[in-house]
Amino acid sequence: MRRFLFYLLIGIFFALLQSSLFPLLLPTGLRPNLLLILILYLGLSENFSRAVVIGLLLGGIQDSFSGTSLGLYVTVDLAILLLVRLLSEHLNAESPALLLLLISGGTLVQNLLVGFCLMLFADAGPILSILLLALPQQLLANLLAAVVLLILLLRFQPLFGSRSGMPGLIYQSKRHGS
Amino acid sequence: MRELFNRYRFFFLAVALLLSSLLLYSYNLRNKGATTFFERAILTFASPFQVGLDGSVNFVKDSWNNYLWLIDARQQNQQLLQENQQLTAELQQVEEIRLQNQRLRNLLDFIDDVDRAALPAQVIGEDASNWARTLTINKGSRSGLRDGLPVVAAGGVVGRIIKTAPGSSRVLLVTDASSNVAALVQRTRSRGVLQGRGAKLTLKYALRDADIAVGDLLVTSGMGGVFPKGLSLGKVEIVERDELDLFQRIQVASAVDFSHLEEVMVLVDLDR
Repeated sequence: MRRFLFYLLIGIFFALLQSSLFPLLLPTGLRPNLLLILILYLGLSENFSRAVVIGLLLGGIQDSFSGTSLGLYVTVDLAILLLVRLLSEHLNAESPALLLLLISGGTLVQNLLVGFCLMLFADAGPILSILLLALPQQLLANLLAAVVLLILLLRFQPLFGSRSGMPGLIYQSKRHGS
Repeated sequence: MRELFNRYRFFFLAVALLLSSLLLYSYNLRNKGATTFFERAILTFASPFQVGLDGSVNFVKDSWNNYLWLIDARQQNQQLLQENQQLTAELQQVEEIRLQNQRLRNLLDFIDDVDRAALPAQVIGEDASNWARTLTINKGSRSGLRDGLPVVAAGGVVGRIIKTAPGSSRVLLVTDASSNVAALVQRTRSRGVLQGRGAKLTLKYALRDADIAVGDLLVTSGMGGVFPKGLSLGKVEIVERDELDLFQRIQVASAVDFSHLEEVMVLVDLDR
């Protein structure tokens, strides 16, 4: 329950950063999607049922802070989470490089799925071209943010030492993805 | 059937979840005006934090803007800082002059004792190698200096001039290995030759039976014609006597601190 609340609070904190702080500091295209990074992290580190529940809630949080309708990011984040779960058994999640690769893939998939959903359900006009044009900057921003978060995690790694595996952190427990 | 479900449970579950979420999305698309309970809860919970974060950001932004707006105050501050630095530098110069005056007074007192005409000079350089001990002073042949003239400081003997140029001279320090100065022990008048050993000095040719003790002051003997008699050379630090040796081995600490030498006096002529 504590971890559940921890993820929720982190998710809300990230959403607050994305909605209140980043717009003041960064140009539109270069605002990282911290919640996506959290979703990917969740998919690699938590068990299936917990990851799905928290992932749905994080999607809901993202929907609460962006867009017009609840459900878009719930669907997209869930799809990403399921994809990560499918892949996680074949991946060495302790590799920081792999985590960065996953974030690149996650960004791409998220943009495509958002575009697909919006086109299919919401008739959102030229949303696909907007998403595609913003994709390189988004990719860059997400990767930079992931690197910063990884550095921070590595710095505070001793605090999490006894916990189960943490993606991107070398020599942690092998129990993640169970 | 149950076995099939168990085998593909993940996929069934995934499809069911995705379909459910798509239905949720589709439903909410049809009710755009309505705020769901979930959204309301999240926004209610986040609102104070958002206000706090916004306030904090605005506070930082206002501080930054106010700082930028206070451009005159900043310039004024810089001007005052510059003025303060200038005054501090001048004060340091005055202090430097005061200390120099003090040192020169000591030097003149010393020269009065020596009873010889002297030319003040400033140390402008040291030896480029790490083994020789020489100094360069800012007075040369244009000032009437020539090779062999003794150089002293308030503490005692510094050395002698070995090279002169019109505007500068090189001084061989008494601590240089090639320097030998005729010396005598002030208390007992025992004689010897003081030779440089780099940082320290040794008294050579002091007879084994000569009465020399630690702390005795060594002065120039006046022999050799370079240094006038009675100039302080240093104090005895170590005395070693060997039954089989003809002379004592005596280590002497120089009277002058060469590491802090800034002004010296060149004794230019014979007795006044």
